[in-house]
Amino acid sequence: MQRASRLKREVLLMTTEPPPGITCWQNTNRMDDLRAQILGSVNTPYEKGVFNLEVVVPERYPFEPPKIRFLTPIYHPNIDSAGRICLDILKLPPKGAWRPSLNISTLLTSIQLLMSEPNPDDPLMADISSEYKYNKEVFLRNAKQWTEKYASQQGRASKTPDEEVTQGEATIAKESALSQKRKRNDISRKGKKPCLDS
Amino acid sequence: MESSDSNDKGSIDHSEAQRRSQLDRLEREEAFYHFVNNLNEEDYRLMRDNNLLGTPGEITEEELMRRLHQVKEGPPQQNGDENRGAESTEDVSNRDSIIDWLNSVRQTGNTTRSGQRGNQSWRAVSRTNPNSGDFRFSLEINVNRNNGNPNPEAENEPSVEPSNGEDLENSQSDIETPRSESPSVRQPGSDRSTSEELATEEVSPLRGQRRARSRSPEQRRTRARTDRSRSPINPASETPRRSHHNMPSQTLDHSLVNESEGSSRTRQHVTLRQHTMGTEMASENAILFSTPETRPAPPVLGSSETNGSSESTVPGQRPPTIVLDLQVRRVRPGEYRQRDSIANRTRSRSQTPNNTVTYESERGGLRRTFSRSERAGVRTYVSTIRIPIRRIINTGFNETTSVAIQTILRQIMTGFGELNYYMYSDGDADPSGPTPNQNVDSPDLQNGGDGGGSSSRSESTEGSSGEVYESNNEGGSTSGARREGRNTRGSVTFEESGSLPFLSLAQFFLLNEDDDDQPRGLTKEQIDNLAWRNFGESDALKTCSVCITEYTEGNKLRKLPCSHEYHVHCIDRWLSENSTCPICRRAVLASGNRESVV
Repeated sequence: MQRASRLKREVLLMTTEPPPGITCWQNTNRMDDLRAQILGSVNTPYEKGVFNLEVVVPERYPFEPPKIRFLTPIYHPNIDSAGRICLDILKLPPKGAWRPSLNISTLLTSIQLLMSEPNPDDPLMADISSEYKYNKEVFLRNAKQWTEKYASQQGRASKTPDEEVTQGEATIAKESALSQKRKRNDISRKGKKPCLDS
Repeated sequence: MESSDSNDKGSIDHSEAQRRSQLDRLEREEAFYHFVNNLNEEDYRLMRDNNLLGTPGEITEEELMRRLHQVKEGPPQQNGDENRGAESTEDVSNRDSIIDWLNSVRQTGNTTRSGQRGNQSWRAVSRTNPNSGDFRFSLEINVNRNNGNPNPEAENEPSVEPSNGEDLENSQSDIETPRSESPSVRQPGSDRSTSEELATEEVSPLRGQRRARSRSPEQRRTRARTDRSRSPINPASETPRRSHHNMPSQTLDHSLVNESEGSSRTRQHVTLRQHTMGTEMASENAILFSTPETRPAPPVLGSSETNGSSESTVPGQRPPTIVLDLQVRRVRPGEYRQRDSIANRTRSRSQTPNNTVTYESERGGLRRTFSRSERAGVRTYVSTIRIPIRRIINTGFNETTSVAIQTILRQIMTGFGELNYYMYSDGDADPSGPTPNQNVDSPDLQNGGDGGGSSSRSESTEGSSGEVYESNNEGGSTSGARREGRNTRGSVTFEESGSLPFLSLAQFFLLNEDDDDQPRGLTKEQIDNLAWRNFGESDALKTCSVCITEYTEGNKLRKLPCSHEYHVHCIDRWLSENSTCPICRRAVLASGNRESVV
C-alpha cells in the first residue's frame, strides 16, 4: 500500500548509506524495477566478483516481498541457473519469512550472507549442493571459475591497480565503475563517486 | 534517488516528469494519511471492510470522501470495482482471465460472469463467505443444439446473459427484469426450491432469474441451507432430505413449463455439484469434486409417458443445461474424520435397500470408484476420483498445471463422458442391466466405467437422487473428485474439454488448495479486537516499520500483544493475510483463539 513512499525512502537510504558491498539503484524510470550489485565477500569463491541482481517490487509491497534474482550466473547451491534464490525471507509466510519490517537493503545483505554461507540442506541445485557437501574442493574451484568467467570485472570495466588495494575502497570503485559502464559510458568515475557517497 | 538521476542523464526530461509525478503521488499519500487519520473508527472499518481505501498515492482524498459517503448512504456495493473489471463476457477460452477472476472472487466475495463460446454459453456466480472462508461457486453451461429450437437460444443467450451480468452486480431490484421473461411459470418452482435451487433454476429461460436471485437474500438463504446440507458434518442425514425436496420442486417446475411452453420439448438438465474441501491440517489437504449430474425429468411428466414415448421426445430439442455447483469448504481435521464415519454409514446403508454396484480402479495414483445404485426406481450414479492432493502440490506449480492437473481434468472429463455414455445407453435400452445387490469391488475394471453398457434405466427413474459418500480411510490425506450422476438424459457434447470453464475452475481450486495450506490472516473481528490508540506528541518518536514513516500527531496506531505498534491501516492489511508481528514474528493471537489459522 505504501509502496511508493516506502520505496522512495528505501532507495534514498541505500544511496546514502549503502550496506557494505551492496549497491542498489533504479533501473529505469520505473520505480518498481531496481538493479542491485553484490560484491563477493573476501574468502569466498565469489571474491572479486560483481554480481548483478534484479529487484522487482510488486504492487503489494511491502506486504509482499520483492522478487529478487541474480542476473549474473553464479555457482551456488541455493541459486539456480535462472538466478532464482532459495531464501526464506524472499517468500511469504508461512513457507517463507518475509515481513514488512524487512526491506530491500536487508534482503540484499541476507543474499550476500547466503553467498558466503550456502545452505546445502535446502538446495535448489542438487548437484552443486552435494558437491558443496562432499567435495568442497571441486565446488570451490567451480564457483571460482564461474566467478571469473561471469562476474569478473576484468574485461567488463577498466580496472586500475589501486582499486585492488583494499576491499572497501575497491567495492565502491568497482561499483561505480560498473554502473558507469552500464549507464553512461562517458561520465568520469570521479564525478560519480560523490553521488554515491552523498 | 540521486544516483539514479545521474544515471539517467540522457533523459532529464523524463526524470523531471517522473519527479513531478512522484511529488504528486506523495501529496496524495499525505492526503490519504490525513484522510485516514480523520476517520473515526467506525468509518475506518467501513472503508476497510469494503475495500474502499485504495492505494495511498493513487487515490485522491476526494475519491475517498466520495466512496465514504457512498458506502454510508447506500448498501455497501462490495467489490463493485473488482467485479466490473472482471465481468467482461465471452472469453471462455481465456483460462487466465477466468483464473484471475476467480482470484478476485476469492478476495472480494461475490461475482458473476458469463460468456459464450461456440454452442455453449455459460455463466458463473460465486459467493464467498468472508467469515468462514467458504467459497461457493456455481457454473451453468448451456449447450445450444441447433436442431431443435434455435430461437429461444438466440433470445436467451445473447440478450439475457450479458445484461444479467451487469444487473447482478449491484442490485436485487433488477431481478424482476429477467424474471419477466418467464413469468409466473417459474415463480412457484423457484419459490419452492429452497433446498435445491439449482434444479429449478437451471432451465435456460430462467437463467436470468436464477442469476439475479443468486444475489438476493433469498438466494443467500438458499445457499446457506444448501451449504449446510452439504456440510461434511452431516452429509448422510442431509442428503436424502435434499433429494426429497429436489423431486417435488423439479416436478412442479417441469410440468409447469411444459404446460406453458408445450411439451414437445424435452428439457435436459445436468446439475453438477462440485464440492471441494480442503482440510486445514497441512497433512490432510483434500479436494473433493463432486459433480452430480441431474436431469430432472419430472415424475409427473414421466408417468404420463411410456418409455417409448419418452424416447420419441427427441432429446436435445431443448438446450441442455449443465449446472456446476462447487463449494469450497474449509474442513477441520476433526470434522473430516467425523465425516468419514458418516460416509461409511451412508454407503453401507444404501447398499442394502438399493442395488448398488461399485467398481473401483486404481491407476496412476488416482483411485476411481464408480458406483451405481437403484432405489425406488431412482438410479444414482456416483463416480469418485480421489487424488492425493499433497502429491500434486508438492510437484510444484508448473508440474501441477501441466501434468497433474491435466490428468485430473482428463479424469473428470472422462467421467463426464462415462456418465453421458450411461445416459445414452440407458435411454436406448430398456431396463435390462444387471442390478447386483451387493457392492462389487473390482479393481480390475478400468475406470469404473466398464459397467456402462450394462446399466439401464427407464424414463421413470429420473428426477431424484441419492448420494453415496465414499469413505476415505486415509483420513483425509487423499482427496477425491466425486461425481454424482443423477440422471441425465440426452447427451451433452462439449466442443473440447479445454473449452469448459470449469476446467479452469478445477485448476483454480487445485492450485489454490495450496493457499489453503497456509495460515490465513486474522478475521476483521480479530483485528478489531486489537488495541489501538492515537499517536501523541508525547510519545517517543517512532517509525512504523511497515511504511517506514514516522508517526505524526493524530496517527492511529495499533498495538499488537507483543507491544509493537504500527499504523492501523498498515498493520491491518498485513494481518488480514498473516498472523504474526512483522517485527518479532510472534503470533498475534494465542493459538487457542485462532479460528482459521493453522
